[in-house]
Amino acid sequence: MRALAANIEEVFREAAARWTLLAYFALSSLFILLFAVAVNLDVVNGALAGAKIFGANVQMGRQSVDLDKLVLGFESGFAGFLYVVGTFLAIFATAHLVPRLQEKGTIDLYLSRPVGRVPLLLSRYLGGLLLSASNVVYLLGAMWLLVIWKTHLVHPRFFFAAGIILFGIAALMAFAFLVGTLTSSTAVSIMATFALFFVSAILSNHDRIAAAVSTEWAAQLVHGLYWVFPKTAQLGGAVVALVMGDEGPRRMRDALTLQPFLTTGLFGAVCLTLACLRFRRKDF
Amino acid sequence: MTAAIEVRGLQKTYREGLGGREVRALAGIDFAVQPGELFGLLGPNGAGKTTTVKILLGLTHATSGEASLLGLPASDPESRRRVGYLPEGHRFPGYLTARQTLSVFGRMSGIDHATLKARIPGLLERVQLADWIDVKVKKFSKGMTQRLGLASALVHDPEVLLLDEPTDGVDPVGRREIRDLLRAEAAKGRAVLLNSHLLSEIELTCDRVAVLRKGQMAAMGTVEELTKREEKKDSLNVYKLVASGIDDAVLAAFREAGAGAERVNGHFRVAARDPRHLNVLIDVARQRGALLTELTPEKSTLEDVFVDLVRAGDSADAAPSSPSRKSESAL
Repeated sequence: MRALAANIEEVFREAAARWTLLAYFALSSLFILLFAVAVNLDVVNGALAGAKIFGANVQMGRQSVDLDKLVLGFESGFAGFLYVVGTFLAIFATAHLVPRLQEKGTIDLYLSRPVGRVPLLLSRYLGGLLLSASNVVYLLGAMWLLVIWKTHLVHPRFFFAAGIILFGIAALMAFAFLVGTLTSSTAVSIMATFALFFVSAILSNHDRIAAAVSTEWAAQLVHGLYWVFPKTAQLGGAVVALVMGDEGPRRMRDALTLQPFLTTGLFGAVCLTLACLRFRRKDF
Repeated sequence: MTAAIEVRGLQKTYREGLGGREVRALAGIDFAVQPGELFGLLGPNGAGKTTTVKILLGLTHATSGEASLLGLPASDPESRRRVGYLPEGHRFPGYLTARQTLSVFGRMSGIDHATLKARIPGLLERVQLADWIDVKVKKFSKGMTQRLGLASALVHDPEVLLLDEPTDGVDPVGRREIRDLLRAEAAKGRAVLLNSHLLSEIELTCDRVAVLRKGQMAAMGTVEELTKREEKKDSLNVYKLVASGIDDAVLAAFREAGAGAERVNGHFRVAARDPRHLNVLIDVARQRGALLTELTPEKSTLEDVFVDLVRAGDSADAAPSSPSRKSESAL
């Protein structure tokens, strides 16, 4: 346990020393700052002042919109945006964890200690996940507090969306770890994971794509890949649906099912298992 | 008594890529290192030294055979709890200070914070890095990094030390300090396996030496045994004789008495069967007016032995049908 704690601590120390942590939080802070500036624009201040005087509605053109709904709509859109940004930042910040560990002259130092290979790899994974979690919580937490400060409206679901974002990150990070153990390359790990993110998102339209391809086997392949790959687009949709809650359109609420979570979780678990198996058998 | 390090019939075959050709790194080697022993592992590049150490540490998996540390199989991570390792070309994270480095790797060996806090300053003092305790490793010279590596190998007070080129990049004074430190560790009962290209280091440090060649054990024994020089044909012991008044007539008399004798760079090489024979030769020389000032058994250096073994292996490879390979290997 002591060894694993030391290894997790090492992930954070390495991130801090290599400027990854700083860059990670600096970028997040930039988003927060932009958001803070946006909510302080005159037009927003004016609308909110009007809502305070004339009730809970905001006048938008000829329409009168409920302030609560307006803020929810804004939060859900932003949560969806943060899902993409948070995932990308997390992969950038953690894709090096396995390739650097496997470098000659470094791996010897770790494996010569009384720590099994699988616990060693899993502690790096856990360290990476905690690093990502701290940033996602910082990002969403800061935005959430800004909204509360500005509107006095508290929507905890916006903050809880961090859970879904982290779930997606966990699955993609497992894939990045698998690529890392196989190739020992940070660049390949990042590229492959981003490619997976986009391809998976495209495959959310697998029915339409399969209908458009000319051969049966290609259609089956598209369907197969859809089921195997993580459901990045559906998870993004789930983030938005969670924040919107009952206020969201019915179509969106219906899309919030267990299927994308189960298949994405399975994908991550399989990737992590394969990474552990490969790391365990590897000769250094 | 359980051997600290034991290797039996150890074989390792690497495969180059998927379905590629096989490369045999180890072809079944055996050796054991006892507690308190300083054991040197020698061999040319590709002989299998590093592979042996890596198998012992679980970094590489053996194809067959057994490797154990303190009675536990090398594949068991627990076997490394009481083992300190200094890898060749190690790369400590440059952002850590010497203190942090020892703390991280000490904790990875299961040592608690309080013990490490008390132990680290003394350990850095031992390897002459006390003044650098809070300096980042990236500022260290190669020799200093090597000393830190040694401290890291010792931080959990191990019973076995596996050291790969421990004096690499260290100045002569530092090398002597490291030699003294290793001897002190061995005197405490630690088993030390030293893997080095510096034959003089091994010769000066180790109690026993094994020479690997192409994955096989070419020779093993004490430094004394390996470097004892014999005239191969007649099993004569060779001595260096420094004396005045020895001329060709004296040398001829030596030969008549059944000894070998030759003049070499201002001294003489005399080959005698045994001490009694040697004394007869001395009497002959003194009767003829020679004045002896030095008489010492002539030894090969470990380097001579090493080069002979490697060349013997090369010539055996050049003539595969030669039956002499095995006998040449056994010094």
